[in-house]
Amino acid sequence: MNPRKLFALTRAGIMESLQFRLGTFVTLFANLLYLVLVYYLWKAIYASSGVDVVNGMTFTDTMIYLILATSLFNFLEMFVVWDMSRSIQSGKIILDLLKPMKFRKYTFWSYSGSHVVSFIMTFLPTFVVVMIITHGAIHMGINLLWFIISTVFALIVNFNIEMLVATLCLYTESTWGINIVKETIVLLLSGASIPLAFFPEKLREVVQYLPFRAVYDIPLTILLQKNGSDTIEGLLPMFALQVIWIVILTAAGTLFWNYSVKKITVNGG
Amino acid sequence: MEGQHVRGLGFYAKLYRKILVQDLKTKMSYRADFIISTFGMIMTNLAGFVTFLILFKNFPTINGWDYYHMLFLYGFSLVALTPVQCFFDNNWNLRFMVYSGDFIKYCFRPVNVFFYFISEVFDVKGLGQLAFGVGTLIYSWIHIGLPVTFMIILKLIVFLITASLFMIALMNAAAATCFWIKNSGYVMVIMFRFKDFAKYPASIFSGIFKIVFTFIIPIAFVAYYPSLVILDPDNVPLLSILSPVLGIIFFWLSYKFWMLGVRKYDFTGS
Repeated sequence: MNPRKLFALTRAGIMESLQFRLGTFVTLFANLLYLVLVYYLWKAIYASSGVDVVNGMTFTDTMIYLILATSLFNFLEMFVVWDMSRSIQSGKIILDLLKPMKFRKYTFWSYSGSHVVSFIMTFLPTFVVVMIITHGAIHMGINLLWFIISTVFALIVNFNIEMLVATLCLYTESTWGINIVKETIVLLLSGASIPLAFFPEKLREVVQYLPFRAVYDIPLTILLQKNGSDTIEGLLPMFALQVIWIVILTAAGTLFWNYSVKKITVNGG
Repeated sequence: MEGQHVRGLGFYAKLYRKILVQDLKTKMSYRADFIISTFGMIMTNLAGFVTFLILFKNFPTINGWDYYHMLFLYGFSLVALTPVQCFFDNNWNLRFMVYSGDFIKYCFRPVNVFFYFISEVFDVKGLGQLAFGVGTLIYSWIHIGLPVTFMIILKLIVFLITASLFMIALMNAAAATCFWIKNSGYVMVIMFRFKDFAKYPASIFSGIFKIVFTFIIPIAFVAYYPSLVILDPDNVPLLSILSPVLGIIFFWLSYKFWMLGVRKYDFTGS
């Protein structure tokens, strides 16, 4: 496949997202307010606990973890499920299926542009703010490189989860229901709403092998250099988990999509 | 909007019932959707509850609030968030209607535009949340050892309605931004995520943000201030006593903002 074709899709995505400048500004502002809420809540929680370190996490660690989880969430958020169900209902999906490119590949690269924009517009500013507030609590070294690699893996895992769920839209029109179940499970089990370090031992043992952890917890753990991820021996199992889930989810997603798309019925279009 | 007939409350109540029945009939024909959505609603509530339990396993008190008092606040917020879910859910469709131009149909009816738009959807799955909230409220009520009298139940109902007005106002205002900005979906999504913080005591805020989260984005009123009337009847803060009045003011302001958007839509459209 010619990479120029793929980057053309990325560029189209970038231009599309830059169109909504006022919207981006409002989002940025609302996000900052949300982070203020997170800050006050955890400050109060740590103040009432009376100790500085809980389950290996200091207040600063928890803050960085949750702030960056939120901005990763905004960065990784794809509306594949909604877009898919809308294009099925309107019949537009037929045009995408007829394109001389595999549908999954086309979808992935169409979204890549908005990822680039939101990385620059939301993730980078947040990262800089965090660095300033915590006076450089994030170690600047090779961990940044590992973080970027694992974020790319996280993006692929996330896309695969989204595509698997979106395929369900071919069977039912209950988009809201499907999407909320997905979002709830991903947010809880990936550590985005409460760091996995706080989970009870038993639950954590199960959760750490699930794919959801590969989306938020692994990149952030690597960035914060927790759980021995500052050594190669600690790093490898994390990357391995991400890669294994990419392989499994890609295979499952492709099979499920190819099977389901034959059953599609589109009204109009 | 000019020359609109002013109708009585009775007329609107009758109309609401008729529209509601139509909506429920439509919903009945999509049974699978109903089951999946209800399941989704239960899942979100369970996940919220699990997060809460994990938090309390690590930290036994938050700002002087123990487990059962926090649970009370949690249940209170769930019940207070039910009306916005059940009756005002159509706000989520507003931006699609405005972009596609379908919104114009609401402007041509001889009834209040806001009323007609909002009454069109009744969200049944919100009732699951109500059940969850009431259960949590009763459980914590028993454990705290609060009395059960006619007066306290009356107070509870009045202040639950009060609390719900604030969230309705927030979502109305967030939805109405679509008349001015594109991509306003994010505004609603973020406002909706703010509500997750309603279940924590607002005493955690300080400085300028105490004012912001009390008077500008009033999440402190979604559970904290109204529930203090029940939890701490001996020294109720002034803001708790004033909250019913403030709730009505906030609701009225959000309604005016929403209608301002409609007026702007009239000017640009067709």
